[in-house]
Amino acid sequence: MIRLKDLTKRFGQRLAVDALTLEVRRGDVFGLLGHNGAGKSTSIGMLLGQVWPSSGEAWIGDHEVSRDRSRALARVGAIFEAPAFYDYLSGWRNVEILAGYSSPLSQHRLAEVFEWVGLSGREHQVVRTYSHGMRARLALAQALVPDPELLILDEPTNGLDPEGIHEMRATIRRLHAELGLTLLLSSHLLTEVEQLCNRIAVLNKGRKVFEGGLEEVQRGQDWVFLQTDAFDLVVTRLTAEGLVVGARDGRRIALASGVAVSDVVRRLVELGHPVHGIGRETLTLEEFYLSLMKEAPCS
Amino acid sequence: MFLIQLRHELWKLFGKKRTYMGFAMFFVAQVVILMVFRFSRASRGMGDLLENNGYDITAFLSPLTAACFTNFWLAYLLLPLYGSLVGGDLVAKEAEDGTLRMILARPVSRTRLLLLKWLAGAVFSVVLSLLLGLTGLLIGLPFFPWGGLFAFVPGELFAVFPADVGLWRYAAAHLLMSVKATTVMGLAFFFGCLPIKPAAATIMALSFIFLNFILMNIPWFADLKPWFLTYHLNLWQQMYESPIRWTRMGESLSLLLGFNATFFALGAAVFGLRDLKS
Repeated sequence: MIRLKDLTKRFGQRLAVDALTLEVRRGDVFGLLGHNGAGKSTSIGMLLGQVWPSSGEAWIGDHEVSRDRSRALARVGAIFEAPAFYDYLSGWRNVEILAGYSSPLSQHRLAEVFEWVGLSGREHQVVRTYSHGMRARLALAQALVPDPELLILDEPTNGLDPEGIHEMRATIRRLHAELGLTLLLSSHLLTEVEQLCNRIAVLNKGRKVFEGGLEEVQRGQDWVFLQTDAFDLVVTRLTAEGLVVGARDGRRIALASGVAVSDVVRRLVELGHPVHGIGRETLTLEEFYLSLMKEAPCS
Repeated sequence: MFLIQLRHELWKLFGKKRTYMGFAMFFVAQVVILMVFRFSRASRGMGDLLENNGYDITAFLSPLTAACFTNFWLAYLLLPLYGSLVGGDLVAKEAEDGTLRMILARPVSRTRLLLLKWLAGAVFSVVLSLLLGLTGLLIGLPFFPWGGLFAFVPGELFAVFPADVGLWRYAAAHLLMSVKATTVMGLAFFFGCLPIKPAAATIMALSFIFLNFILMNIPWFADLKPWFLTYHLNLWQQMYESPIRWTRMGESLSLLLGFNATFFALGAAVFGLRDLKS
């Protein structure tokens, strides 16, 4: 659905996005994760043809955005952090205006979308009177009216109160489950990405440092927690015997390929080391993210 | 589809209170100038001028004359101000507010978007100029008897017309005034395509106009007058000349069309290269 190939953007001397290559498959809820200034919004800007790439290509479907923007964006909706509207016009007029740049509109379709996002009855009030949550729903309405296949959400929960955040996340799940949309979600909120996405890419200083499925992240490197006396000595012995390939934090070991936890337990007992606790451990996204950032610290 | 999108641009433009500031200020200014003209010695001064040149004051001290006198000053000073205010807002205000980013997430080309916005600005300019003419005339009706048109600019213009000829000259002058308003709007629109604030676009357009006006009025630069934009912007004034210099008017009109096309093309080129970020 989306393919970025060596996409690079420089603002003067500053390298904002560095040879970003990634793929979002049809049906994915794809999370673009990174700290503020990591290059998420710039990447989305290039994907929408709002920011010109210094080099590389951004494809949506079969169309390259810089060369064929109109066709590439024909079935795309987008929601930005703090969506802007014509506050002096009604919600209905706003959606008519914004969605009118995509395709001809039917009043029936507009009413249907206002119903879907839960703004029925308030659509003819001026946007100035809307709460943050209503503005977020209006942003969703304008994105949905042209019947998109792909929805791009750039930090969609920023600025919302906890209720609004909960509501927006529930809506994102509905978009995927009920409408079958492919979603590209940029966020710096790890829990949000963990709750919503099936695949992620992590950006750090404009460079992609990880791309893969969330399950892959959670499995990590198959870390096994081990509580024993003389942890370092145990690791040295098990490494020498080819059972362990890594260790960290004084309580986690990484097993060699084909080695089971029971193999380690048996060997430790044979060597006379007490085992107070042992078991497989999954990484939280936060732990995984922090480990990536440690590997490539921000300047 | 294009017309629907143009209608949407007009909704945006005419939905803003700020857009009506020009209309409101023109109305107030016309009422004030006409009242002062009617109830002070100013109208007597104009009457003396007519009588000294052998004309009957009662035939020419009319709503047409009063409106022409009023609108001369407004067209020189306030029309560029409100034209550039709206022109400067069209792109720059949307960029500042963030709505431009919402629009450009859509499959609409930047050039098409600019064309829609420019056309909406042109509609505003035409409506502003024509309303200026209409309200000027209507405000004068209760205070002056209907009669001929006397147009006077010290050192430049002295012309009298019977009522029927005066009326069409007045109407045609305001139609041409809309070319002036559109050109000034187009100049501010161009500046608004640069990555600057809307107020800066308005100020830059006004500075350009005022600089032209100043240069044009320096006596030693008299020979260079046709090189200045303001010289051609005042083509509407030529509708009060007798006889009308059609060649000069055609020249000014074609140059203004060229200026408009150039401002638009430059704006589109600059805007096309811009990165639009939040």
